[in-house]
Amino acid sequence: MGSEINLETTETSWTGGWFSWTRQSDVMLRNVEKTILSCLKTAYKRFYVDIGSVVGQSDKIWTISLNDESPKTPLVLLHGMGAGLALWCPNLDAFAATRPVYAIDLLGFGRSSRPKFASNAEKAEAQWVESVEEWRREVNLGQFILLGHSLGGYIATAYALKYPDRVRHLILADPWGFPQKPANPYENTNLPLWVRAIVTAVQPLNPLWAVRAAGPAGKWLVGKTRPDISRKFLNYVPDAEKIIPEYIYQCNSQTPSGESAFHTLMSGFGWAKNPMVGRIDQLDPKLPITVLYGSRSWVDNSTGQVLTDQRTTANTYVQVINGAGHHVYLDKPEQFNKYVLEACARSDDNDNGRVPDKVAPPADDGATIHTVNNITTTDKSSNNTEPKTTS
Amino acid sequence: MNLSFAGCGFLGIYHVGVAVCFKKYAPHLLLGKISGASFGALSACCLLCELPIGEITSDVLRVVSEARAGSLGPFSPSFNIQNVLLEGMQKYLPHDVHKIVSGKLHISLTRVYDGQNVIVSDFPTREDLLQALLASCFVPVFSGLLPPRFHGIRYMDGGFSDNLPVLDENTITVSPFCGESDICPRDLSSQLFHINLANTSIEISKQNINRFARILFPPNPEVLSNMCKQGFDDALRFLHRNNLISCTRCLAVQSTFQLQDVLDDTTFEYDTDCEECKTHRQDALVDDLPDTVMTIFQNAIDSANSGIVNWVMRRRAMRYLTFLTIPYRVPIDIMYATFTNYVGNRVEVHSVQYKVAQNVFVHRKRCVRHNNLMTRFVTCTPKMSKGLWKLSLNMLQQLHGFMYANHDRSEAAARIYYKLTMDGKIDVNDGMQLDRRRASEFRITYGDVKSGHDDVDTFEHIMNVTSHNEALLAYYYLDGENKMKMTEIYDVTDADTDAVQSPMERDVNKQLEFDNDWNSEFIPDSDDLDMEAMDDDALADRNIFSDPESEWNVRRSYSASDSDGDQPEADRRGPYIELA
Repeated sequence: MGSEINLETTETSWTGGWFSWTRQSDVMLRNVEKTILSCLKTAYKRFYVDIGSVVGQSDKIWTISLNDESPKTPLVLLHGMGAGLALWCPNLDAFAATRPVYAIDLLGFGRSSRPKFASNAEKAEAQWVESVEEWRREVNLGQFILLGHSLGGYIATAYALKYPDRVRHLILADPWGFPQKPANPYENTNLPLWVRAIVTAVQPLNPLWAVRAAGPAGKWLVGKTRPDISRKFLNYVPDAEKIIPEYIYQCNSQTPSGESAFHTLMSGFGWAKNPMVGRIDQLDPKLPITVLYGSRSWVDNSTGQVLTDQRTTANTYVQVINGAGHHVYLDKPEQFNKYVLEACARSDDNDNGRVPDKVAPPADDGATIHTVNNITTTDKSSNNTEPKTTS
Repeated sequence: MNLSFAGCGFLGIYHVGVAVCFKKYAPHLLLGKISGASFGALSACCLLCELPIGEITSDVLRVVSEARAGSLGPFSPSFNIQNVLLEGMQKYLPHDVHKIVSGKLHISLTRVYDGQNVIVSDFPTREDLLQALLASCFVPVFSGLLPPRFHGIRYMDGGFSDNLPVLDENTITVSPFCGESDICPRDLSSQLFHINLANTSIEISKQNINRFARILFPPNPEVLSNMCKQGFDDALRFLHRNNLISCTRCLAVQSTFQLQDVLDDTTFEYDTDCEECKTHRQDALVDDLPDTVMTIFQNAIDSANSGIVNWVMRRRAMRYLTFLTIPYRVPIDIMYATFTNYVGNRVEVHSVQYKVAQNVFVHRKRCVRHNNLMTRFVTCTPKMSKGLWKLSLNMLQQLHGFMYANHDRSEAAARIYYKLTMDGKIDVNDGMQLDRRRASEFRITYGDVKSGHDDVDTFEHIMNVTSHNEALLAYYYLDGENKMKMTEIYDVTDADTDAVQSPMERDVNKQLEFDNDWNSEFIPDSDDLDMEAMDDDALADRNIFSDPESEWNVRRSYSASDSDGDQPEADRRGPYIELA
């Protein structure tokens, strides 16, 4: 819908962007992303995958793939709320050393299209799951290892619930949306009136409203409030203290469609409306799950415990990474990579345990329609052409 | 292993709870460097000096009650946070504090002219340290207009640039805001969004918004007490999760070589076979703040709630009335503050003059006159009365010295006596404290601790020991005739008097003191070793962790000779090792 690729609109606008409140442009986002990805040592491809009309009219999912010739089970990465695929850059090289790696911008985030999601929590979740499934069909993956961080972890679990045969191994990095919102009738009694007033006023807004409301100061705001994220990239990205806030700002200053969908999934402030804890028993008992946490993480640590308790089979692995926070893949990348690779290796070994039903691309009816449309342009050649070719 | 305390204004009471827990369950973690900004730096300093937590708590509560008293709360003109802090530090920090903390305490400061962060860890004199601490607590406008200088450069609160200075990878971060710190409150919220202000991760939650307002506006004692409890519980949970709680014996073995990699990949394994460790861990799970701290809070809460005035003030109508009268009360408050500050400063200046001049002859008349003139204001302002109290005390001492001088009719003798009275001041203070504490009838049972020479075990000696050492264990009970009995047990191994140690023992200790091979890493919990060594029946059945105060205080060594203070602390602990 309209806003997915802003390149033409920004350039042809007769005001030249002078009157827009935010400093957003797809060109800048693409360039910034490219700068960040330049730290990768493995050759990579970036391309749009056209998934047709899943949520909007013609949705496209921005994808990066590395080492996709490898015959091993591919690894698919789903980022968290407000992030984008470039933030995986400390991990991509390590993952790609052994197997194909795909990282995508979730629908509604980063450079993917930004359609309007349903306003119902179940439907929005299903739309997201469908978009991932359509993407898989387009990219022609049989089974894969699914790794999700935060919101991505929630979507990954929802995907594994719906398409258990597709997922060889589910890796959750500090996933969101597992615990039930605790009922606490005394929650507000200790708080003064003005705090409750602020909270009530902010509740209906999208989580990152302040970044867009700040307009030209948004980038500065991101840099000021999350200097920790930029700092974690200092070893990888030159000039990270400027580039990373720019990237995060550019990712989140467009139409906040993914953010709204996330807001739909939320009840209260940050709790899931349909928490995963009630649905864990529906997960395929044979599906191996690895949960990775940072010890400082502020997402409820009991999730891993809940998973191991609820799942009777012994294929749930919980790892706590000391000294890491919520962005566990950035805080301790070496350890995170090590654990993920271990989990991947485990799933390779277990080939016999979980018989892959359909390793070959499924012969579904819709499967052949779009496969030719995958325009895979290598990064070197295509900066100006790619959005046009996809549209 | 280093510790880092976040700056947080009046929320600092949280750090007190954390400190209590560390002292009680993980004293081996306190041997490294401790850093902090703002109030965090103050707590770090107190922790390094091994100050008794009870007194610190009551001092924090005193500051809070003063801050809440004014018409505009902590922003009232009559409340000067810098003065209050300085007063507290002067009173509680030992004289050689700069020697104790240099190299260990890292204070985060913000340079005013370029906003850069500076971390200070070297303090040549006590004044330097106090200046640095004051600068680290300076919030512009709130604390005053002109930031204090440290080494000639103006600095302000470290919280503006780096609120949670992290020295290296192995740093345990302590923050009273729910967020991504090692020790922090875990609120019942989704904990999804957080921001990072000056290196402190703060989750966006209702509770944190509320806490944020408490930085400069202190809450009532109940809330403070809960915060302190929360700090204790959070620290305990952290220790428990990381398997850092072991029994003392296991600690002594482990701490020598495993301190460094606690936060690393490898988890710290406690000895699963050790029964004592197990029971200790079990005890810790159900533990709460020690009574010493809780009583202080309880008293503060009671004093805030009891009495007819407080009752009236708590009525809603009264609250509205106080709110509405603020415009009228503020000018009065300002006038009052200006006046008392002026007069108070004059008194202070005079008392300093007397001290410096050291000449009773010339100034005596003026002094007396001032005394009379000022008495009418004594009840008006605590500051003034304090200044006056000092002045009159000083005068008395000088007079005393002067009388002796007259009696001897010798200039030299006069000087010596004068010096004696000045030196004696410390003792006078101690004596006063002692008296206040045991105002009622008391008896000292002194049988449990081994004493070398019974013939010199006189009352003076006992007084000497008891006034210079805090009791390890004290218990009070009513006997058959309803009389209060009190027993206090003292650790006398470092009291260098004939009363408690035989000459031979003292010789051994002396020799040990020159044995410089020891450094503090090898003896992390020497007083516990010491406890085990003295296998008196009285101590055998005593759970050494039941009373944390006992552990905090034994290291406050006021040796008989001041020269001892120059030696590194480790040397002074020599006797413990020998006894073990």
